[in-house]
Amino acid sequence: MEKPIFDFGINTTRRHFLSKLSLGLGSAALGSLLIPDLFKGGGGDAGVDELMAGLPHFAPKAKRVIYLFQNGAPSQLDLFDYKPMLNKMHGQDLPESIRGTQRLTGMTANQAKFPLAGSIFNFKQHGKSGAWMSELLPHMASIADDLCIIKTLNTEAINHDPALTFFQTGAQVGNRPSFGSWLSYGLGSENQNLPGFCVLLSRGKGNGQGVYSKLWTNGFLDSVHQGVQFSSGENPVLYLNDPDGMDRTQRRKMLDNLAELNQGTYNEFGDPEITAKVQQYEMAFRMQTAVPEITDMSKEPESIVKMYGPECLVPGTYAANCLLARKLSEQGVRFVQLYHQGWDSHGGLPTEIKGQCMDVDQASAALITDLKQRGLLDETLVIWGGEFGRTNYCQGTLTKDNYGRDHHPRAFTVWMAGGGVKPGIVYGETDEFGYNIVKDPVHVHDFHATILNQLGLDHEKLVFKHQGRRYRLTDVAGKLVKGIIA
Amino acid sequence: MVRRRGAFVANKSLQTQTTVRRYLSDWKGLIYNLAFFLNGLLVFLLLFEDRFTVPIWMQAVGRMHPLVLHFPLVVLILYCLWVVIVEKPDSTRWNAQLADSLLIIGTLTAVVAAFSGFILSKEDGYESDTLLWHKWLGIAISLMSIVLYGSRKYLAPWKLHSKLIVGAFLVIVFVGGHLGGNLTHGEDFLISPLGPSQDETPKVAFEEAKVFDNLVKPVLEQKCLSCHNEEKAKGGLQIQTQALLVKGGKGGMLWDTTKADLGLLISRLHLPLEDKKHMPPRGKVQLTDEEIVLLAAWVKGGSRFDQMVSSLSPQSPVYAYAQNVLGGGRTEEQYDFSGADADEVKKLNTTYRLIKPLSAESPALFVNFYNRANFKSEDIEGLMPLKGQIVSMDLSKMPVKDEDIKRLAQFPELRKLILNFTDVTGATLGELKKLTKLRELSLSGTAVKMAQIKTLESIPSLKKVYIWSTGLSVEELATLKKGQKIAFETGFRSDTLVLALNPPIIVTEKQLISKDEKVTLKHQIAGTVIRYTLDGTEPDSTKSLVYDKPIAITKNSTLKARAFRAGWYGSKQVDKVFFKAGYPVDSAQLLTPVDPGYKGKGAASLFDGKVGDTERVSGTWLGFNQNDFQGYLYFKKPVQAANVTISMLRNIGSYIFPPTRIEVWGGANEKSLKLLKVISPEVPKKDIPGAENLVYEAAFEPQQLSCIKVVAKPLSKIPEWHGGKGGKGWMFIDELIVN
Repeated sequence: MEKPIFDFGINTTRRHFLSKLSLGLGSAALGSLLIPDLFKGGGGDAGVDELMAGLPHFAPKAKRVIYLFQNGAPSQLDLFDYKPMLNKMHGQDLPESIRGTQRLTGMTANQAKFPLAGSIFNFKQHGKSGAWMSELLPHMASIADDLCIIKTLNTEAINHDPALTFFQTGAQVGNRPSFGSWLSYGLGSENQNLPGFCVLLSRGKGNGQGVYSKLWTNGFLDSVHQGVQFSSGENPVLYLNDPDGMDRTQRRKMLDNLAELNQGTYNEFGDPEITAKVQQYEMAFRMQTAVPEITDMSKEPESIVKMYGPECLVPGTYAANCLLARKLSEQGVRFVQLYHQGWDSHGGLPTEIKGQCMDVDQASAALITDLKQRGLLDETLVIWGGEFGRTNYCQGTLTKDNYGRDHHPRAFTVWMAGGGVKPGIVYGETDEFGYNIVKDPVHVHDFHATILNQLGLDHEKLVFKHQGRRYRLTDVAGKLVKGIIA
Repeated sequence: MVRRRGAFVANKSLQTQTTVRRYLSDWKGLIYNLAFFLNGLLVFLLLFEDRFTVPIWMQAVGRMHPLVLHFPLVVLILYCLWVVIVEKPDSTRWNAQLADSLLIIGTLTAVVAAFSGFILSKEDGYESDTLLWHKWLGIAISLMSIVLYGSRKYLAPWKLHSKLIVGAFLVIVFVGGHLGGNLTHGEDFLISPLGPSQDETPKVAFEEAKVFDNLVKPVLEQKCLSCHNEEKAKGGLQIQTQALLVKGGKGGMLWDTTKADLGLLISRLHLPLEDKKHMPPRGKVQLTDEEIVLLAAWVKGGSRFDQMVSSLSPQSPVYAYAQNVLGGGRTEEQYDFSGADADEVKKLNTTYRLIKPLSAESPALFVNFYNRANFKSEDIEGLMPLKGQIVSMDLSKMPVKDEDIKRLAQFPELRKLILNFTDVTGATLGELKKLTKLRELSLSGTAVKMAQIKTLESIPSLKKVYIWSTGLSVEELATLKKGQKIAFETGFRSDTLVLALNPPIIVTEKQLISKDEKVTLKHQIAGTVIRYTLDGTEPDSTKSLVYDKPIAITKNSTLKARAFRAGWYGSKQVDKVFFKAGYPVDSAQLLTPVDPGYKGKGAASLFDGKVGDTERVSGTWLGFNQNDFQGYLYFKKPVQAANVTISMLRNIGSYIFPPTRIEVWGGANEKSLKLLKVISPEVPKKDIPGAENLVYEAAFEPQQLSCIKVVAKPLSKIPEWHGGKGGKGWMFIDELIVN
């Protein structure tokens, strides 16, 4: 009797064998469905680790972005979009036919008249393209041949918060991933010792609008892609130094033990946020050596200080942030997002805008020149612009030399430089009132699609599935603006 | 009885079995005969193939070939497998007849398939070797299966020779079936998904793209070639070569620009989908609108085979199509080397040395180095296994030495090399001439010399060199810029630009300075001279004190400082009031009410050691408007006092004025106070812009005091010139210091 039992123990029946075999074949087939490259040998991406496994869809023109966001909306009509017609018709009402059905903000909707306000600043043509720029921007004018000035950006929002959120996340409501987070998700960080997405804030003296951390949120993406806000004080990254009495080896040991505990918890719960946390600790450890090297401005040559203006040595100023942005970008930070507040000139625009331009003109231009002289401009895309434009008519009382301008989403100016966009061109045209676009409109979605393209990403393929839907930075829209691609 | 009944039942069941068996054998016989007849007909037709034309009604039979062919395939394969694998000499089970049943079903369906296939082959467009083989193999399968069935008596399925014969038959079935598949779906249909991905067809740069080769041909190949090739030339049309395409099919030339519909090709595309002549036929993958526009534009443009995309006007629809298909302005460089081993790349990546392909599909790699402290020459050496793939390297700020240049010269595929702010002196730059593909070289911030830069001209591929912030003189840079071959980027020069310096920074935050403490200053640009005064005079660049060590405060004073440096204008002045810290006060008491809007921390604000911020009247400032300020300071042990400093605020724009009168009283306690000093500040005669910290020092005979009373009266009537004329002025006080 023992033998059959023994046989039964070691042998499988034919039926058993066949069903097992079919199961085995089935799982192999399933495996190859789930992992399409399972049966293909070799090739594939040379991924480094999960954080670095970025996949440019094609060879990128730009590797990095520095976005100089002019928060509050600078007046395109006083800086770039020269409209002598407004001076000619100064004080006359904006024709109904031009305004059309444009909705207005609560600030001017009840105004009885919409008197056109010509800019009091002088405009001149600059560079080979003959781009018009006002006297407020002498430094930018001097690099006109490097700029790609787009006069026909347009957006859907008419108030700061939704417009800003739209520019930063591709949607007017909050909690979608920010532009920089998408890039961090799509391309990873070049330098593992620094975050892939850094945020720098500064404030001018003009009427300001807030910026909130929702603008650099990772949204539904993994939290390693969140923007890291640098402090505007002397220590841009707080709490980076080890406390007294703790040295690097001790810190290393502590992190190793902590990681072990976290791994245990991860094994139990499987929450990916736990691994994200461990990765962040590790990066912070590496940042302890990488960041001081970057934030130390004392090694910058004197010519750099003169180029950006001596303010660049005062932490928290726009100029200092521009210089810091260059240093971060040079060290492989994928997306450096600056915000300079104070452009929301509803009244007293001539005075306010003068101050704002003093803050940003020299340093913005210096950043371009600086990247250029290091051979980095071709791989770095610099963007300068606000969340919408300002109206051609006056908000409040119009006098000969004082006026205010309300929000204007239909047409405004943004410039780019480097990163494979055409240098020295002016793209798009507005009508003679500077109110409507007459040629080559560029919607915010188009703007996003084009920037992603420059970074080697197909905006329709950079997706993340969340709550049953595949999301894109460009939502369901966006066309490449081919006219600006070099 | 029981037994007989049982015998009867058994007998009856035997009878039934016999009936069934007979019926079965009859059924097989019937089929066998039918199959035999059909095979005979097939052979007959084959013999007289030349004289045979397919009647129209029979075409339907021919087109059933794809429908019926799968039956014999499946059944015959099952039969073969059964015989080869399962059959044994003792097969006396229920399935003893299975092999026969399968074979006879296979035989009938095979002949039906062969017959219909033969008729289908008479239709247009099937003339090729593949067809020939498929046809004869199909007929062979049909004939062989009937022969197998006929001779099954002699082929006991468990005998080895039967197994071999059936095995051979199986191979023929497979080959015949596969050829048929190739005929319908194309030669490489079966294995193409296993091969390299379809997307990997080499991309062409926009400038080099041809309209026909890179745009039109791929469309024709994808959407038309499967029915118009040498094996299957529907309508007599083959399009695999340009000549055949030009020749056209039975209907003649494919295009005719004199016609409004541009000829056959385009008009067929435009026909409604239901139309029988619509191309591609219903059910096949259709052309997209863009593709139709492309073909129409190409035909309209003269159907030229040599036209370059770049020669077209950007307004042309073909140009727009090309931008989409070829990736717009993306002119990706094509590399003639193959990709590196992914594991090797992964292995060589560290947190301080990034190695990545340019894009997911690109064989080319770029390398970035980070963190100066970790860098070693071996880090370059270690990349040698990837020297065939690395096209760019960024070594900015790494301590790269001259001898490392030789190492870099071993990477023949380098296109871009960045050596900004490295320790390279240029002595070995000549080595780089080995890099025959180098296009961009950045040497900004290095100590390279003119003569060494000249050697770079021997690199024929070199287009751009960055030499900002090197030791080169203005004249040398000018000479280089004149050169034609290489574009030199010299960057920004600050020599002639004179700007104002930032003011110095007063590092010390507190304003009450004890005798052990010092005031420190600094400037962000190292080596900048800071000059200062403590006596209220403006500091200048020649006579004022040079700041070289922290400053002691021996009496209340205003520090004024400016920064100076060669090549810059002197900075603006910074100033700050410092108080000599006094005796520690033990307690204080307010005798009059402080304005509820500005009550600070009450009496404690008077001796908290903090001087208020002149820009903000919140925090430590005590505000008075309706009444005087009166307060006591108490010392537990009497102090030797000689003066009392009162810190107040002036901000005329905000209605904050100096007091009109200050009284200082002192004594051993509240009851024995003596008036020690009266100060009567002047009422301002005009507006003084801005906010200022006012310091009133009431000096008196040194004496022992335990209690000090201070009285200050706000301005009772704001003067005429002020916007708030006639009203009461505000007075802010924040600190009393006893020395």
